[in-house]
Amino acid sequence: MATTSENVRSNLPPRASVSAAADQSQPGEQLDTKTVGQVTVANPVMTARKVNVHYGDKHAIKDVSIDIASNAVIAFIGPSGCGKSTFLRCLNRMNDTIDSARVTGHIALEGQDIYDKRQDVVQLRARVGMVFQKPNPFPKSIFENIAYGPRIHGLAANRADLDEIVQTSLQKAGLWEEVKDRLDHPGTSLSGGQQQRLCIARAIAVDPEVILMDEPCSALDPIATARIEDLIDELRQSYSIVIVTHNMQQAARVSQRTAYFHLGDLIEVGATDVIFTNPRHKLTEDYITGRFG
Amino acid sequence: MDARVTTGGPDGHTVRGYDGDLLYLRMQVLELGGYAIEQVTRAVEALVEGRDSLARAVLARHEKVRSGHAAIEDYVVGLLARRAPVASDLRSILAIARIATDLERVGNAARKITRITLDLRRDAPDARLGPFYRDVRRIAGHATAMLRDALDCFDRGDVAGAEAVVERDAEIDAEFRLALRDLVTHVVEDARHLPVTIHTVFVIKALERVGDHARNVAAAVPRLHRR
Repeated sequence: MATTSENVRSNLPPRASVSAAADQSQPGEQLDTKTVGQVTVANPVMTARKVNVHYGDKHAIKDVSIDIASNAVIAFIGPSGCGKSTFLRCLNRMNDTIDSARVTGHIALEGQDIYDKRQDVVQLRARVGMVFQKPNPFPKSIFENIAYGPRIHGLAANRADLDEIVQTSLQKAGLWEEVKDRLDHPGTSLSGGQQQRLCIARAIAVDPEVILMDEPCSALDPIATARIEDLIDELRQSYSIVIVTHNMQQAARVSQRTAYFHLGDLIEVGATDVIFTNPRHKLTEDYITGRFG
Repeated sequence: MDARVTTGGPDGHTVRGYDGDLLYLRMQVLELGGYAIEQVTRAVEALVEGRDSLARAVLARHEKVRSGHAAIEDYVVGLLARRAPVASDLRSILAIARIATDLERVGNAARKITRITLDLRRDAPDARLGPFYRDVRRIAGHATAMLRDALDCFDRGDVAGAEAVVERDAEIDAEFRLALRDLVTHVVEDARHLPVTIHTVFVIKALERVGDHARNVAAAVPRLHRR
């Protein structure tokens, strides 16, 4: 199945407004931002500048600027409703599917505006994959769950290629040994933790640059959580990972940078060990020490 | 904003039991500090007044300092495990743990002075060191007052006061050097004073160390502050 950019354009929500002229990321650039800490990085894979999101009358994201570094994990933390998931969903245009959502500002992947009219959204979501809170395998076999993406994106020339992609993806997701003898079983027959790793394998299969994870462990027990966290640490060798989590210890364990959101503002971003030992902003301090009123 | 870690109230933790835990930790440290000061005061009293029974009582009470410190260490480990503190909470708890270690060292200084006292009483029961006992009393008075003030600043979260306490360590160091010079002169005058003098040097050195620990306690107070 090929998706033409014509299709993509017609799928765009009517009110999506894009400002391609917004400032590009430059090394050492001076950002007009209230965010405290290290907003830019030397090796960004994605850059967001002055991003605003409105849901109808609600101003959900306010002037957020941030770089997502290559081959690193960044955690988005903050209380419920702070906008961290909304901002995450901007990074692969998942908000396009919500009619009332209006995204402005500039977000680039490898320097290219992802809100550009010529951007193929399906292609974008292959390059910026997503793993959700609840594992959501397709109601198909384990094999088909992984093979579906590479097939529609034309990544496999033949069955042997496809077999190899499926095996490599499952290996990278740490699931191969557990499922190699039952690839034809339904994906839904796996345990919760295995299903989540299947979803990660599915995201990996289309060779993304960035993987977005929205509370990927909140439905899992501590052992399954530990396996996912271990996997995240391995995956950052090859991918950039953005993880939204309510579990602050998880953010501290898995990420190299942490960003704290509060009421739609990006309050502070910096090295995780700095955020968790010596945050600069009082709101960050209050939140992570459990004093948030 | 209240500067101290354990306040409860509007600036307290959402989980109020956490504030209670931190308050309990502070109370334990203040109690240990009280014991440590009392031990030094009584050890010096036993030395100056030549009271063996008091010296033995100080040794017997040392266990209270040791077990108090061990209890604080255990409590800190439990807090770290249960509450997983971060940021100012983590820095405060580690600073409080270091304060407890300094207080235990003060207790050790008192024990050392007491052992010297008992050795002196056994080896030279008629030793007369009148003028130097005045030095010992003076240095001990300054060192314990400094520690008391440091703990008071810790309790009140008084950063400016704590910084002033830190400065006072230099005075004790100067008094120590002065007393040392006098002791050397005393030995030069009559070599038979040597054994008693050596014991006295150890005593004033231990008291000078109490001043150092008081300085460490005071220096930790700014780190207990939430910014």
